Formats: sequence, C-alpha cells, structure tokens
Amino acid sequence: MRAALDRLYSLSLWLAGLCLVAIAVLVGLQVGARLLDSALRTLGLEQTGFIVPSLAEIGGFLLAAASFLALGASLKAGSHIRVTMLLALVGEARRRPMELFALGVSALASGYGTWYTAKLALDSWTFNEKSYGIVPVPLVIPQASLAIGLAILTIAILDELHETAVRGRPSFRSAEDAIAVGKEA
Amino acid sequence: QTKWDLPTPYPDGNFHTKNIVQFAEDVKAATGGSLQITVHANQSLIKHPDIKNAVRSGTVPAGELLVSRLANESPIYEVDSVPFLASSYDAAKKLYAAQKPILEKKLGEQGLMLLFSVAWPPQGIFAKQELNTLADLKGVKFRAYSKSTERVAQLAGMVPVQIEASDIATAFATGRVGAMITSPSTGTDSKVWDFLSHYYDTQAWLPRNMVIVNKAAFDKLSDAEKQAVREAAKKAEERGWEMSAIETKEKTDLLAKNGIKVTAPSDDMKKGFAEIGATMTAEWEKAAGEDGKAILDAYRN
Amino acid sequence: MDAVTLASLLIVVLFLVLGTGTWIALALGIVAYAGMVIAVSAPPGQVLATSVWGAATSWDLTALPMFIWMGEILYRTRLSQDMFSGLAPWMRALPGRLLHVNVVGCTIFAAVSGSSAATCATIGRISLPELKKRGYDERLAIGTLAGGGTLGLLIPPSLIMIVYGAATEQSIARLFIAGIVPGIIVAGLFMAYVGGWALLNPGRMPEREPSMPLRERLAAGWRLIPVILLILGVIGSIYGGFASATEAAVVGVALSLVMSRAMGTLDWASFRDGLLGATRTSCMIAFILAGAAFLTTAMGFTGIPRALAEWIGAMNLSPWQLLLALTLFYMVLGCFLDGISMVVLTTAVIMPLVQAAGFDLIWFGIYIVIVVEMAQITPPVGFNLYVLQGMTGRSIFRIGLYALPFFLILAIVVALLAIFPDLALWLPRTMLEAG
Ligand code: NA
Ligand code: NA
Repeated sequence: MRAALDRLYSLSLWLAGLCLVAIAVLVGLQVGARLLDSALRTLGLEQTGFIVPSLAEIGGFLLAAASFLALGASLKAGSHIRVTMLLALVGEARRRPMELFALGVSALASGYGTWYTAKLALDSWTFNEKSYGIVPVPLVIPQASLAIGLAILTIAILDELHETAVRGRPSFRSAEDAIAVGKEA
Repeated sequence: QTKWDLPTPYPDGNFHTKNIVQFAEDVKAATGGSLQITVHANQSLIKHPDIKNAVRSGTVPAGELLVSRLANESPIYEVDSVPFLASSYDAAKKLYAAQKPILEKKLGEQGLMLLFSVAWPPQGIFAKQELNTLADLKGVKFRAYSKSTERVAQLAGMVPVQIEASDIATAFATGRVGAMITSPSTGTDSKVWDFLSHYYDTQAWLPRNMVIVNKAAFDKLSDAEKQAVREAAKKAEERGWEMSAIETKEKTDLLAKNGIKVTAPSDDMKKGFAEIGATMTAEWEKAAGEDGKAILDAYRN
Repeated sequence: MDAVTLASLLIVVLFLVLGTGTWIALALGIVAYAGMVIAVSAPPGQVLATSVWGAATSWDLTALPMFIWMGEILYRTRLSQDMFSGLAPWMRALPGRLLHVNVVGCTIFAAVSGSSAATCATIGRISLPELKKRGYDERLAIGTLAGGGTLGLLIPPSLIMIVYGAATEQSIARLFIAGIVPGIIVAGLFMAYVGGWALLNPGRMPEREPSMPLRERLAAGWRLIPVILLILGVIGSIYGGFASATEAAVVGVALSLVMSRAMGTLDWASFRDGLLGATRTSCMIAFILAGAAFLTTAMGFTGIPRALAEWIGAMNLSPWQLLLALTLFYMVLGCFLDGISMVVLTTAVIMPLVQAAGFDLIWFGIYIVIVVEMAQITPPVGFNLYVLQGMTGRSIFRIGLYALPFFLILAIVVALLAIFPDLALWLPRTMLEAG
C-alpha cells in the first residue's frame, strides 16, 4: 500500500513536470521560428511563417495539468503552505488533535473540489465541448487533469490523516519544519 | 423576488455592456422589481470562454458571449464571421434572420434560449504600414485568433501570427505583428494610435454577440416576468443594432481624430477580398452541411 | 445580511480556518464556500469548478512556473556566488552593501516579468541563500525581497496594468510607460531605506568585505558577465520582437540551461531536482491562486466589494477625501483579495467616481498598481508572502512584518504621486505625444 501510494505521487509529479517541459518546448519552438524568420528576412529569403497553433490555449491547459497533477506530491513534500503559528504555540500534546482536525477539514474541501471538477469534465464530455482556438481541443481532457489532480490530493491528505492518527505527526512535518534558506535537500 | 447574475466579457464602457445594463433596468421596471438582473461586466464573474458552459450548467441563469466563440462546436455559430459574406448592417441583419432558427435549435439542444443578438461594427484592417494592393499584404504578419482568421491570412498571402488580446500593444510595438482585423470599436478601446497608423475600412464581416439564458431558469419565472424579459430583449436587440451603427461612425471618426489614416480599401484589394470571401463561403457551406445550406439559401433569397 | 456584517463574518471564518493549520488554498476555498452558502443562491460546487478552471488555464500565468524553474536552475549553478563575489568589492562603500542586490535585482528582473510573485521567487532563489551565507540580516533580506518583488507590477511589462487597461479602456502602452518613473522612485526609496537601516544598525551588518585594488575589482567584475548576458538575452527577446512577455520566461529557462551547461553544473540530477522543485513550488502558488479565484468569484456573487465601493460613492467626498478613502479601502481589501481580483471586482463602481472627481485614468492606473503592490505584502492573502514562506519557512505574518517598512514606503509613494501627478504622466506625455 505504502509503496503503491508513493509511486502514485511520484508518477503524478513527473507528469506535472513533463507538462512544464512541454510548455517550454512549444514556446521554444515558436520563439525559435521567429528568430529563424527574422534571419531569413534579413537575408532576403522566404520566411517559414511557422506557428505553433493554439499555443496560448494549449499552454494554459498544460499549465492547469502541471499545477493540479503535482498537488499530492507537493503536499507530501511539505511544499503547500499553511499558517502553523498557532499549531506551534499550543505544544505537541494539543497539536495532534488540531492537526487531525485540519487534515479532516482539508480532506472534505479537497474531496468536494474533486467531485465538482469531475462533474465539470463529465459535462464537457457529454456536450462535446471544444476549446475556441485554431486547434479544437476537447475540454474534457484538460478538465479531467484538474479532477485527477484533486483526487490524488484528497488521497494524499487521507494518507497524512492516517499517518497522524497512527504516528502522532504528519510525515511532511519534518520537511515543513526544516525548510530554511539554503538548508533544504 | 428573483435575482439573476448575468456575466459579460466586455468592459462597462463598451456599447454592448451599456445596452445589456439598459436591458436589465427595463426588466426591473417592467416587473416592478420582482426580477433583478445584475450585470457583471468585463469577465469579472465568469471568463469569456466559460460563459456558455456556466449558463448551460445553471451556474448563472444568463450570460453574454461572442457567437462565433462556439465555432469549434458547430460551424453554424460562425456564419456571421465568414469574411465578405455579409458586409453591411442590412446584410448582417438578413444573415442573422436566416441563421436564427437554426441557432435557436442548436442552443436548445443544450437547454439554452437566445434572448437577443447584436452585431459589432464591421471589421476592418489595422496596420502599421500602407496597404494599397493585395500584393502589399504579402508577407505581412497578421493576427490570427481563430481558424477563419488564420485562413484569411493564408489566402491573402499573409503570415498568420498568434497574439493574445492583452499582448496586442506590445506585439505591434516590438514588431511581432504588423496588421490585425477588428472593429473600430476595439481599435479605439485599445487606443491603437499609440502603436499603429493605418485603418482600412474593409467591412469584412459583422460578428455578433448574443445574450443567452438557461431555459430551466427562464421557465421558473412567472408568465408576467417571462413576458417582461421577452419584450425588454426585443427592445434591447433593436436598440443594440442602432447603437452599433452609431458606434461605427463615432469610433471611426475617433480613429481619424487621433491621427490614424482611415481609408476605404482600393478596388484591387476589394476584388481580392471578394475572391477570398467566395472561397471561404464555399468552404464554410461544405463544413456546415445541410443546416449551412439552409442558412445560405434563406440569406440569398 | 448587509455587506459589512457578511464581510466581517467571512473574515472571522478565514482566520479560524487558517488558524487551525488548514492549507491556505483550501482555507480561501472554504471561506468562498461559506459566503456562497450564506448569501447566494448560485450552486457553490459549480461556481468552484468554473472559477478554478478559468484561473488554472491562464496563458499569462505560464510565465510564473517558467521563471520559477529558471530560478531553480540558476540556484544550482555558480551564478549567484559569482554575481555576489563580482559585486561585493564594488558595493563595499555603499551603506547596506550587498542587500541592495535584492532591490536592484528585482528592479531589473521586473523589466522581464509582469508578475510580482515571479520576480520575488526568481530573485529570492538566487540571492537569499548567498545573503544568508554572507551573514546579512535575514529580516531585512526577506523584507527587501518581498518589497522589491512588487516592482514586477510597476515596471513594464505588468499583468495588472493589462487587466486595468482592458477594464477601463485605457492605453496599455501608456500605462506601461507611466509606470517607469514611479518604479524607479520606489526602487530608489527602497535602496535609501536599506542604506539608512545599515547606517543605524552597524552591529547587525556582517563584516565588511576586504578592500581590493581597482585591477582586482575589475577582474572580479568580470564574473558578472554571465548574469548580464542572461538578463540582456531575456529583455532583448521581448524588445527585439522575438518573444512576448509571457514567452520570454521560456527564453530565460533556455539561457539558464545553456549557462548551467557551460559552467559544468548541468547533469541529470540537477536537471531533475530543478524541474521537480519548480513543479512543486509553482503548484503551491497555482493552488492558492485557484482558491483565491473561487473566493473572488464568490465575492462577485455576494456583491460585497461592489457594495463597499458604492458605500464610498454615497459619501459624496471631495477628490482628496475620495483618494484617501479609496486608499484605505484598497489597503483593507488588499489584505483579503489578490490584486487582479481587486481591480476587476471594483472598477465598475470606482471608475465613474474617479472620473467624476476629475482624476486622469492613466494616473489612477499607476496609483492602483502601487496600492495593489502593497496588497502583495499584507497577510493573510499576499502572494509575495506565500512565495517567501515557501522559500524560508517563516510564517506569512512574520514575513508581513519584515515587509512593513516597504509597505510604508509604497504608501509614501502613493502620497507623492497624489501631490505630483506628473511623476506618472510626464513620461508618456513626452514619449507619445511629441512625435
Ligand atoms: Na514588470
Ligand atoms: Na494582501
């Protein structure tokens, strides 16, 4: 179970990272083509006129996928921020029930978001909705990435809820406490 | 008392928005305040790409959007944007009348109702340089934001480039784009005289916005309220088209006043555009199938 | 329920939820949900999905992860050591010494990036570890970054100016130019503050770097070449017409990779760590943006910002009173909403007032940008604070405290701008109307 969950987080983080790489590659192609065209124009040659169709729209979709697919892994790594002042103030004994409460509330909120983004994606699929630009992208694909990302986040929060219930502290706690300039791994 | 939120994509100063605000006031007056419509302009509530879906899903009861934004769902939605098919207010009205039954049917399939639809001023070419003949267009970097604008660029020998609306000023200033097609309204709203110099009144097409309503939300109204909405919508449509014509004149004058060289396209260019229009109309008809043929037949009679 | 009661109630909910240690993004979403359930008949779940989707797919936002990635790549090179070693002998005599790198770095980077968070994240990643290593006061280092990052909005290109220009039908080109002089003034005042602080607190400054003869100083200055080339490359890609302000971020990534390769620090491990680190950091920010987007839309439905703005309108204030009232209004609103939301939610009501009072709308645009900059560094909703909490582990409230002097300096600039409107208006007038 532990191994399967960790693989899930790591896989989705890698997918998210690849989405960022994809944005960079697409934009890079477009900028490269402009540079080439400018050189060709200077030399008096025919320009390529190459465009990456729907770059802005597809870039936006890739960004959404990158942002949401990384949610679970970022939680486990302690990257998501929260206000821990009060938690630190109350001392370890009272901290545990508060952590459990925060994790419970968060799991509910994240689950709620999962449900409704899934519904959004499903509706787009039912009505066969397409994006507006030169390439008609079925909206269900990028919208599903939101729902999947939030689902993984919900799993990660429940995972931490379980950790905290069993071990007394969430596993990202050490990461959260250790983050300091120049000290992270 | 019923409260409706109505998101629109354009800012408060835009004539479409003003017309819709007036529509909301008319409805309020006619229903004695039992139906109150709050207009949320400038994508402040829902972003333009999501307005149709938001109305369809009942997230908001009504909303405004550019009809041709739905072109990728069905070619029926973009007949108003087929270049040089209907290039005057009269022609655009006739084309709207021809499209309306099929448009309503299409919207009905998603539980949507058309309230009213108003044309933008005719689309003209804005450029950083003089464009006297069709040959001058060759190699010019032309802003393409949809399949059909990309096709116009291709057919006219221009180089299509993609520039986001928010990036237009910078793109002209740094030379990433040399020409674009839009209305004198959008031209003055974005103060084009700060970064380009020529306007060619090509009257290429008159794109329309539409205000749609969720059928289920509409059905919940009382009969008197329904009647009030229908009447206010009818008035808004008439008023909107008049406002649009006035807008064309005012904004074109404003362009000239701010130093933009406003000219009619040359005969050579007109001829070339007419050919492009014929090609694209034929392509559209092929893509739009039987419904498309029905619209064109009704339009041409 | 009236707007003020509802707003107060929601603020209490926000602090309660944040206080228990719920993640900020989710806390904002919970407040939005509460507002929807209490005051609005629209379906909250669908509003959540629509607003989150709309916010998550923003093209302009793609620049943010790219710049963060660029920072992560550079962090793994020798660039920041080189930059600081190159600058140190030159900055020796200047009070505040290398602390100025934060302000100057942010100012230069602001000419590349249109966002405050991206500026803060990129420069912070490069400079914070090095400043800490050299023993500079951490509070001031973090504060200057929080404040300096906001320059991303005032110095063109600027996302918020684009949003304001579209909402009020003002020329974006003019707004961009109008931001330059106030931007330089803000940067100058930030540096003056750093210098003054250093003179007053000599005990909290690290040991002075050893003095060097000019020849050695020049040799050390040679180490600045890579960073200069990098900045020129990115700025050049925008102004040379090869990339939009959004696309330029990718040029930054590409050049950083080339530089890392040339310095011999690019291997699979460093590439992987940089990419995944950037993915997590930008995920953290995007997630909060998504929560904030739901809150913004919920606020639009509840009509709270509109009602408050109407309330100010009903007071029939003189122009100066109006300006003061609006500044206070935006400062309070700025604690709870992000800058772009503040502009889109209030322009409909505020602009007619501002116009009636006779203010120039370009001038008002610059005014509002500076007020929005202030909002970036006030807790609990302030994106520069989030970036810096993610980077340093200090809580947003503490970082807000470190940033307080810079918040006050921005307030002073607002006052200066009100007294001397030409600070904003002179440059666009001379540049665009002479020719
Ligand atoms: Na900037
Ligand atoms: Na704030």
